[in-house]
Amino acid sequence: MLKKIFFILFTGLLLACSSDDPAPDPDNGNGGNGNNGGEGTTGFDRAALLANWADNIIVPAYQDFYPTTEALEVSVTAFRENPTAVNLEQVRTDWLNAYRAFQWVSMFETGPAEDLRFRARLNTYPADTATIDEFIATGTYDLELPSTIDAQGFPALDYLLFGIADTEEEIIDFYENDPTAVNTLVYMQALAVNIKTLTSLVRDLWQSSFAASFKANTDASATGSIDKLTNDFIFYYEKALRAGKIGIPAGVFSTDPLPQNVEAFYNQEVSKELALEALLAVQNFFNGTGANGGNGRGFKSYLDFLNTIKNGEDLSTLINEQFDLARLAINDLDDNFATQVQTDNIAMLEAYDELQRNVILIKVDMLQALSIDVDFVDTDGD
Amino acid sequence: MKYLPNLFLAATLLFVSCSDDDNTDPIPDNGGVDIEAPLTYNFERNGETTVSFDGQTTRIRMGEEVVGALLDFDNSTSESLLAKFNHQEGESNFENETLNASNKNLSSKTAASRDYFVTNTAETAVIRADFETYMEKQISDVFPGEFQAAEPGVAGQLADGSATRWVAPDGLEYNQLWIKGMIGALMADQMLNNYLSPAVLDEADNIENNDNEVLAEGKNYTTMEHKWDEAYGYLFGNSPSATNPLATLGDDDSFLNKYLGRVENDPDFAGIAQEIFDAFKLGRAAIVGKNYQLREVQAAIIQERVSEIIAIRAVYYLEQGRMALEQENFGTSFHDLSEGYGFIYSLRFTRNTVTGEPYFNRTEVDAMLSQLMEQGPNGLWDLTPGVLSDLAETIAAKFSFTVAQAADSN
Repeated sequence: MLKKIFFILFTGLLLACSSDDPAPDPDNGNGGNGNNGGEGTTGFDRAALLANWADNIIVPAYQDFYPTTEALEVSVTAFRENPTAVNLEQVRTDWLNAYRAFQWVSMFETGPAEDLRFRARLNTYPADTATIDEFIATGTYDLELPSTIDAQGFPALDYLLFGIADTEEEIIDFYENDPTAVNTLVYMQALAVNIKTLTSLVRDLWQSSFAASFKANTDASATGSIDKLTNDFIFYYEKALRAGKIGIPAGVFSTDPLPQNVEAFYNQEVSKELALEALLAVQNFFNGTGANGGNGRGFKSYLDFLNTIKNGEDLSTLINEQFDLARLAINDLDDNFATQVQTDNIAMLEAYDELQRNVILIKVDMLQALSIDVDFVDTDGD
Repeated sequence: MKYLPNLFLAATLLFVSCSDDDNTDPIPDNGGVDIEAPLTYNFERNGETTVSFDGQTTRIRMGEEVVGALLDFDNSTSESLLAKFNHQEGESNFENETLNASNKNLSSKTAASRDYFVTNTAETAVIRADFETYMEKQISDVFPGEFQAAEPGVAGQLADGSATRWVAPDGLEYNQLWIKGMIGALMADQMLNNYLSPAVLDEADNIENNDNEVLAEGKNYTTMEHKWDEAYGYLFGNSPSATNPLATLGDDDSFLNKYLGRVENDPDFAGIAQEIFDAFKLGRAAIVGKNYQLREVQAAIIQERVSEIIAIRAVYYLEQGRMALEQENFGTSFHDLSEGYGFIYSLRFTRNTVTGEPYFNRTEVDAMLSQLMEQGPNGLWDLTPGVLSDLAETIAAKFSFTVAQAADSN
């Protein structure tokens, strides 16, 4: 009996292996550029890929992001000194600019960003407003503590700028007249400084040392730069974009939809805009480009080099088409996802499904073609 | 690779059932009556259910309140935690009034099985004291670090992805030791070594009464039926559906149900939940059909498989902890290792059906825990990855799965 089972299993493995392997390597593996490490060598120029990622996409993205955090800090300082409606408007504009630019770096949670828990500290939502209120009242807090991630970053500013009172008039009145406004503005400034400081740290570390070691680590192994950043990219796409921006508010992981869990909940106008920005950043990175620049060396060119075909079509084409379908689905949604999930959650779920289809193409098919193992597991939730 | 029953069990099944290893098929019993398991855990007499496991549900719910209280920095004290563990009828130890009114508690069933502890009360006392110590250390060693960052020898917070973990100076989350330790010392021990044991199922005149359908006083079940259901209750007792609990497997508690769900979700072990559920159904049907030999075969399946859940999760957390440690990701690593500590502790309550003994005895478990905690003065902070690999290998070597199969959930 057992023999029979083993035979069936073995046959199953054979079948599974033969249908989805990458096409034969056109360059016979040991291609002479010397940049390939270890197993899985294919002749693809891994060093050039890493150089494009670091020099043309990632470092420029931080360089673009940093000035927006600087501008935000400047306008928050001005608002603190002179809390007028005009200055509030300037802070809000700068907050949105920075939040938008952040969507282009959020996926690169490796090296310095990973060490500093950059994404968690800049964009954990929903914000814990009770804790924020307590920090403001007591003036005692340590933004480096892991437990304070939902009391800082863009979501905490979102609350202070758009959610501190119910109406626009009341918010302005609060900052102009309320006795607690002074402390609130002190905290707001601390948040803006924190965002700027963390961003400058990550940018500087990339420029001064990390980019070099990142580019040099061409190994085709779990600790190689390509394997690690690919995992970070997929983790971001799956958890932060697909689940965080769309799936969680749509109630995919809970009994009911959670409108209060949308990104920029208090702003009420930009959750779609931020999701689209993030999707564009992800798709561009897949295609080897940044917001502006990049020579096209990326997952797409890697897959095309390997001539990866699925169901008779280039896998890279399928993935790009799927990104486009997801964009179309998101475009159909309300500007405010909180409104969307409360009025027509089906459309939100459809957008989630389109994003999910690319999880399969990227996490399963692409990783198999690139011979990269997934290095993260779903966390315990406890 | 798909999950295969180990050879011993397969051989036993073949022997008993002659030509068929499919649990759900009719199997001729001694009296020539076919025993067939129902599709769900649904057993009735005179149109009313005969299934009852209130006491297990109550204890699981008491455990759930402890889980919450162990991280309730604002309200919990040593006294309040110990009072939940040692609850006395009528005391307001819980938020749930039904629990407060109950005459049951967690501690009296901790390390209290007939087979392992009836003449071993000294060890029972040691084990209960361990769980009380975990509660006390959560208050005395972990809570003081609520608002500070942890370092070697200093209690405080560590980041685990976007989650915050609170550790003692030695790196342990004592709440995790308590929760994961309970899975062995309460749930598995009561199930495997008490209610599924012939010493309990066949006690006094249980067989005679079951043969003649003499019901327990004022009840709709025979005592033997009820004992079997109490074993079932430690796995499925908090499920919204007592008859079809696999529908919500993994979501129904923070204990054995949760981790059967986790193991089931690892493709290497897919099918284990159905196998355990089927064994519970068929064993119960065998009691109704008075076929005690068939009942014993099903009990053995449950004992082996539930023991494996504990071992698989111990290895899983050791491996996950090792990988995170290699990345110097201490928050993730120490969280995994705190859970792993509890599962290693729970190994002492597993049951090898060949020997009737645990896969690891107390001395062996203590040796493994010493390896984990005594590499230096600061506990987990002084670990090297090699120690964790060795421990994982040591555990897996006694079971029919490999470290690699247990090491990840895919």
